[in-house]
Amino acid sequence: MDKLRLIISTILCLLISGGVFLHAESDRVGHVRAELTAESPAIYPGQSFLISLKLKVDDGWHIYWRNPGDAGAPPSIDWKLPPGFSTGEIMWPYPERILLPPLTNFGYEGEVSLLSEITAPLDLKPGDKITLNAIADWLVCKEVCIPERADLNLTLNIADGKTIPNSPHPEDFTNAKALLPIPAGDWNISGEYNDTVIIFTLTAPDWFDGRLSTVDFFPYNRGVVANSLIPTLTREGQSYQLSISRDMRVHYLPDKLNGILTTPSGWRGPDSEKAMEISVEMKPVNFVADTEGVSNLGIALLFAFLGGLILNLMPCVLPVLSLKIFSIINQANQSRRTSVVHGFIFSLGVIVSFWILAGGLLILQAGGQSLGWGFQLQSPAFLVILSSFLFLFALSLLGVFEIGQTIPGRLAQTTREGYPGSFLNGVMATILATPCTAPFMGSALGYSLSQPPVISLLIFTFLGIGMAMPFVILSAFPGLLRFLPKPGQWMETLKHIMGFLLMGTILWLAWVLSLQAGADAVIMLLAALLLLSFGAWLRGRWGNLALGRIKRLTSAAAFAFLITLGLTVGLYGIDRTERRPDTSDSIIGQGIKWESYSPDRLSELRQSGRIIFVDFTAAWCLSCQVNERVAFGSDEVQNKFAELNVAAIKADWTSRDENITRALAAHGRNSVPLYILYYPGVATPVILPEILTPGIVLKELNSIANKPSTM
Amino acid sequence: MFRKVIFTALAMILGVAIFSAVAKDKEAPVSSQTTAMVGQAAPDFALTAADGKSYSLSSFKGKYVILEWVNFDCPFVKKHYGSGNMPKMQKMMADNGVVWLSICSSAPGKQGHFAGKELMERMKAEGYAAMAYLIDADGKVGRMYDAKTTPHMFVIDPKGMLIYAGAIDDRPTTKFEDIKGAANYIQAALESSQAGKEVTTRNTVPYGCSVKY
Repeated sequence: MDKLRLIISTILCLLISGGVFLHAESDRVGHVRAELTAESPAIYPGQSFLISLKLKVDDGWHIYWRNPGDAGAPPSIDWKLPPGFSTGEIMWPYPERILLPPLTNFGYEGEVSLLSEITAPLDLKPGDKITLNAIADWLVCKEVCIPERADLNLTLNIADGKTIPNSPHPEDFTNAKALLPIPAGDWNISGEYNDTVIIFTLTAPDWFDGRLSTVDFFPYNRGVVANSLIPTLTREGQSYQLSISRDMRVHYLPDKLNGILTTPSGWRGPDSEKAMEISVEMKPVNFVADTEGVSNLGIALLFAFLGGLILNLMPCVLPVLSLKIFSIINQANQSRRTSVVHGFIFSLGVIVSFWILAGGLLILQAGGQSLGWGFQLQSPAFLVILSSFLFLFALSLLGVFEIGQTIPGRLAQTTREGYPGSFLNGVMATILATPCTAPFMGSALGYSLSQPPVISLLIFTFLGIGMAMPFVILSAFPGLLRFLPKPGQWMETLKHIMGFLLMGTILWLAWVLSLQAGADAVIMLLAALLLLSFGAWLRGRWGNLALGRIKRLTSAAAFAFLITLGLTVGLYGIDRTERRPDTSDSIIGQGIKWESYSPDRLSELRQSGRIIFVDFTAAWCLSCQVNERVAFGSDEVQNKFAELNVAAIKADWTSRDENITRALAAHGRNSVPLYILYYPGVATPVILPEILTPGIVLKELNSIANKPSTM
Repeated sequence: MFRKVIFTALAMILGVAIFSAVAKDKEAPVSSQTTAMVGQAAPDFALTAADGKSYSLSSFKGKYVILEWVNFDCPFVKKHYGSGNMPKMQKMMADNGVVWLSICSSAPGKQGHFAGKELMERMKAEGYAAMAYLIDADGKVGRMYDAKTTPHMFVIDPKGMLIYAGAIDDRPTTKFEDIKGAANYIQAALESSQAGKEVTTRNTVPYGCSVKY
């Protein structure tokens, strides 16, 4: 049958070409019929002409474009030409998407012509014949893939160049050429990218009166885009924005991105060419549509100061804050000078700890680690040490033992903590503050990300100053203490209550630890705390000043030994426990179905036309926990989410996660919480404030009616 | 006195508020599978091998592990088995104490899915020389690792971190003659990591046939 068709087509060719010798071969290999054809039956010396490798692929099978997508391989042609001839690259017609979920390939089904331009030398003799030979290799796939090869010949006559012979298959070549990408020409295309997306801005030429419906992008290189995600187009007047998801694994992006854009609308109006070749310089950018965006140092410092100030009111700092007020009350009777010095030392404690935090963060970041605010709480070891420290502190508050036991008599009564105590209070307050992000703070910290270390340190310093400010003022103006109650027995009671509050904090830290390192690590932590409490009890029982020196020294040694042992046990517990993949379930929100964050999932959802809410959170982030309970616990919010079919994504940063750190950075942040709403067809998301209420969420979601919808 | 009561009460209310915020009941976890990413811990899995034994990734902690997505009927895989390249590498890695697990995510009825005696015979014919050929018929592990092609290679270090994901080498063809002179990414990643150096090429685009999920 094929033979017969071959003969008929050959005869037809001969008839059409008016008896000029033309030898075309058609070769049936497996699932593809391959054929070489020439634009004209004869060539003349020095001419450049097109040869087509026509591949007819069986139904249901496909072959590949130059970038095959997720799998497959492009066809290749190995030319054997007579001396003096030269050939150009394959001219690739634009491909289509071939879907094999979860994979996507770029290629062709049905019939495709791969054109090559061949240039003849000048020293050809008219009247002779030449034969072009091509070995074509291709991979043809359906479910399965088969590599195929054809050895093809095409014989052409050499004409004298005065008479130009007619093309035997004019429409074949016209059709093939129409599928080639045209140059970008008058279309102005600029490119920007961040960590997850590439955005092209396409500005139509003045004469273009059409309207693009959809646009697709096919890069020449692999590893640039997430092949299975279709780009989204939004229109703004005469220009369009095309948002393309990047390949999150290979994450390759050349400075100059080459590829083709396709649109069914035609780049020169209806029925014109569908594909356009582009070569676009890529510029990095943060697509942040933040109302409180920080662009200069002054505002960053102001925001840092305000953020630090508000940090005092965050739930995580409160226990220490109460203690501090408490010690100020205690010191009320002292000279103003002592009181000011205490305030100053407390501030120093705060600021120095902020420096240490910032320094650690900067050093680790310089080492290539993706970290952010609160990073130390991502470390189980830190959680164990902090819990142990807080536990001892709590025991001391409950009167099991006295931290200042060695300080003799009356002095200890008045300056219970002494200057080191004030300093330690500052350190404690800072450490406890890290799980919280106050309003303003996120923007300031985000700004510090992009700045040199000195500026980063300055911003952290202002955070510290802001946080310490209320106490400095209170210490400097003891008159303000009039508004606080007089010291007395009630303070002892309050102290005990604070002790229990700290125990509560430990409960929370243990929960975070359980998410990071599992139940075994928590059991080991409890064992460590048991040892510590035993040590503290020994110290309280026999460390009393009323007892003999030997007893006191022994109890101190036993105490030190048990602390060391306890910490060793606690840290050993982590080493022993495998760090399991994070399955944190820190979100309360009955009725809202949360999905875990992944860049691919987000891109996928962004194609779906749904509204997307992304909650960047962590178990150790108390503000996050409170926000979630307040905002997502509300029935109204839950109903609204259901009504608008909002896709809810939780990016859980409890344990270290480079993807999430990157995503935060893409929004100019390195801290949680961060709440982002994506509207379909709008490239830039809306960022909600760090303190979330049902009202804020509802107001934003209700405003959807006023959003420009381009989908 | 009045002020004392107010202050103490306030402190207690705050305490209770924080407790209730923290200690409130949690909902059952809603977590979809996270994708394996280079630089992060490789997700654990347990699969049954051709020999009927079960293998889990976590049991190889402390050793280097290579994962190879396989489909013996894929021309790209044939290139590496037919030429003897893959068995040779598998033997060499085994000699160096490196664990090599091949995973077949072809669904039953699709190309590359073998089981039982047929599989054992096929492995013998291919000169298979790695530790285990694991059958991932429902494609769960394949999707967890976002395995796209056969072959698609992954290298995991003794700490369980994924240090390489992508192609086996830099010649994305089915031609036997392209094996000679190709830059092998797996060997390069292992050598750098074993020498205590950063792996320079951590992610490449895998090439081959699509995984037949």
